[in-house]
Amino acid sequence: MMDTLGFLLHGFEVALQPVNLMWAFIGCLLGTAIGVLPGIGPALTVAMLLPVTAKVEPTSALIMFCGVYYGAMFGGSTTSILMNTPGESASMMTTLEGNRMAKNGRAGPALATAAIGSFVAGTIATVLLTLFAPLVADFGLKFGPAEFFSLMVLAFVTVSAVLGASMLRGMTSLAVGLAIGLVGMDNISGVARYTLGVPEFVDGIEFVLVAVGLFAVSESLYTVLYQSGEGDSSVNRMGSTWMSAEDWKRSWPAWLRGTAIGFPFGSVPAGGAEIPTFLSYTTERKLTRHPKDFSTEGGPGAIEGVAGPEAANNATATGAMVPLLTLGIPTSATAAILIAAFQNYNLQPGPMLFLDNAPLVWGLIASLYIGNVMLLILNLPLVGVWARLLSVPKPQLYAGILVFATIGVFSMRQSWFDLLLMYVIGVAGVIMRRFDFPVAPVIIGMILGPMSEKQLRNALAIAQGDWLVFFKQPIAATIMGLTFLVLFVPIFLRRRGVRLSEDD
Amino acid sequence: MSDVSNVSNAGKAWQYGIAIFILGLGIVYGIGAAAFPSEGGYAGIGPNFVPILIAVALGVTGAILLWQVATGGLRNFTDELAGVTANYRGGLWLTTGVLLHALLITHIGFVLASTLLFVCVARGFGSKRWWLDAIYGTALVLPVFWLFTMVLDVSLPQLFNDWI
Repeated sequence: MMDTLGFLLHGFEVALQPVNLMWAFIGCLLGTAIGVLPGIGPALTVAMLLPVTAKVEPTSALIMFCGVYYGAMFGGSTTSILMNTPGESASMMTTLEGNRMAKNGRAGPALATAAIGSFVAGTIATVLLTLFAPLVADFGLKFGPAEFFSLMVLAFVTVSAVLGASMLRGMTSLAVGLAIGLVGMDNISGVARYTLGVPEFVDGIEFVLVAVGLFAVSESLYTVLYQSGEGDSSVNRMGSTWMSAEDWKRSWPAWLRGTAIGFPFGSVPAGGAEIPTFLSYTTERKLTRHPKDFSTEGGPGAIEGVAGPEAANNATATGAMVPLLTLGIPTSATAAILIAAFQNYNLQPGPMLFLDNAPLVWGLIASLYIGNVMLLILNLPLVGVWARLLSVPKPQLYAGILVFATIGVFSMRQSWFDLLLMYVIGVAGVIMRRFDFPVAPVIIGMILGPMSEKQLRNALAIAQGDWLVFFKQPIAATIMGLTFLVLFVPIFLRRRGVRLSEDD
Repeated sequence: MSDVSNVSNAGKAWQYGIAIFILGLGIVYGIGAAAFPSEGGYAGIGPNFVPILIAVALGVTGAILLWQVATGGLRNFTDELAGVTANYRGGLWLTTGVLLHALLITHIGFVLASTLLFVCVARGFGSKRWWLDAIYGTALVLPVFWLFTMVLDVSLPQLFNDWI
């Protein structure tokens, strides 16, 4: 315990260095902006920013990326409340009550409860991360290849089976992601696989290229093809962000419950913030003393229906840092891209990171505390400034997104071939979206695929080819058992009438 | 597995296309995997094992998709765009922008190529005043170019010198 405190204090020394404060601020600023802008999410933004890893020091860059991730969660609520479109998928639930409140002239309190709730949840979740991460990392040191392989299988199953409307389409996306991950040199034997004689393919297909193609290009192309004419661009009036005593009284229990629901969901590989925000919303609706206020009952919008889900989505984002930092397992597309950022520095998130790179890990964790304060300041008094971003017209917005997307892809290898490939993947992304194939499993399959193959072969080499190794060792066997159970989750959810779409 | 989707004929053709593509990818991956060595030392599995597994996964999901499409269409899928006419003209502008950018960037430099991309994409989204977009585009692209090349040390193709 004292150790943890000592490490955290050292972390603050790192995070409070002016240069790191600057990067945290840039990250928070960018994150809030992209959270506010509909159509672009944190995954895409971090992917587009990956080229900065060439110059910026790892701690600073990772602090910035986390700022983007968090900022997007804060900023997403602004769009949901002021327009009837969620800025990103984790704010879908906020739209229900938040937009209704705004239509009834209470946009200010809705924005305030979202921002303060995000701050409260983010901070509590960061405290939990501080307490739990070292324990999980310690536990993770006991893991061998068999355990890691089982964990990755669990992550594969959760992201492809639980998310989305159809398990089959999720599995298909995962298989495609794994197939893309196979291209290039096998990292154990050195055999070149599926390179088709193209020299660019020997190093594998660049991850940034696939991420940017699937998010930026396909989003722009989809919007221009199917949504360029439409769009309810009416923005609700804002008013004062002052919360009355009654608003506070109704908000704070919802914040705490949202945090309690969000954090555990973030920290297990359960894929994104969709389920926890949904659960938080239904919990608030069940527990409320003002059922008539809920939009589903035709009411003027219930503040707890904004407070809970907003707290939940922030707590989920922080919770996702636990498996990411301690075990190297991403639970969402954004987390997968953060792994790619670590890999650009030849760092591998996992239990060893806490031993080998303690200043980096703790600097990053400390920066999350600081980032939360920055985001509260950026979002509460300055919310009016962000709302003005919503008036950027679509043509210039998407033109700008594509300019940034191409920088990210081109600067990796200075290759026009990569730009063409990015476009082709963008077209594939449009087809996937058109027919409701989830994108996150492709990204996660691509990142985790090669890692899991290595763990599988190492595990079997240690066990002399005995496949039962995954069921004989208690930890691996437990995880495999869980994986099997997870397969039934979608059936259970569908029975309860829950339909999910994916987290971007 | 109840609600069979309602899709237009065009949508149906696309669904067949997807299913056949995934199935085909599985077959191609399978053929590829057959050529990789199977020697795996102590592990007992070599560099061909996981590719075979993934080829099978692609083949099986592709086959089930094909079966779904043939028996009514993808399950749990509502075609939200059934009656929507796609704006192909806009898509074509965007495509033109991206392709021109890819082909020209090493010849005319990042600044000009990206401004051209900006103008084409904005045109695709219905902007009528291309000269104004060219100004907006340049105003965005130039500082970004300086930021990346001078501050972040990311090299991008230039037209004349460090400034453009």
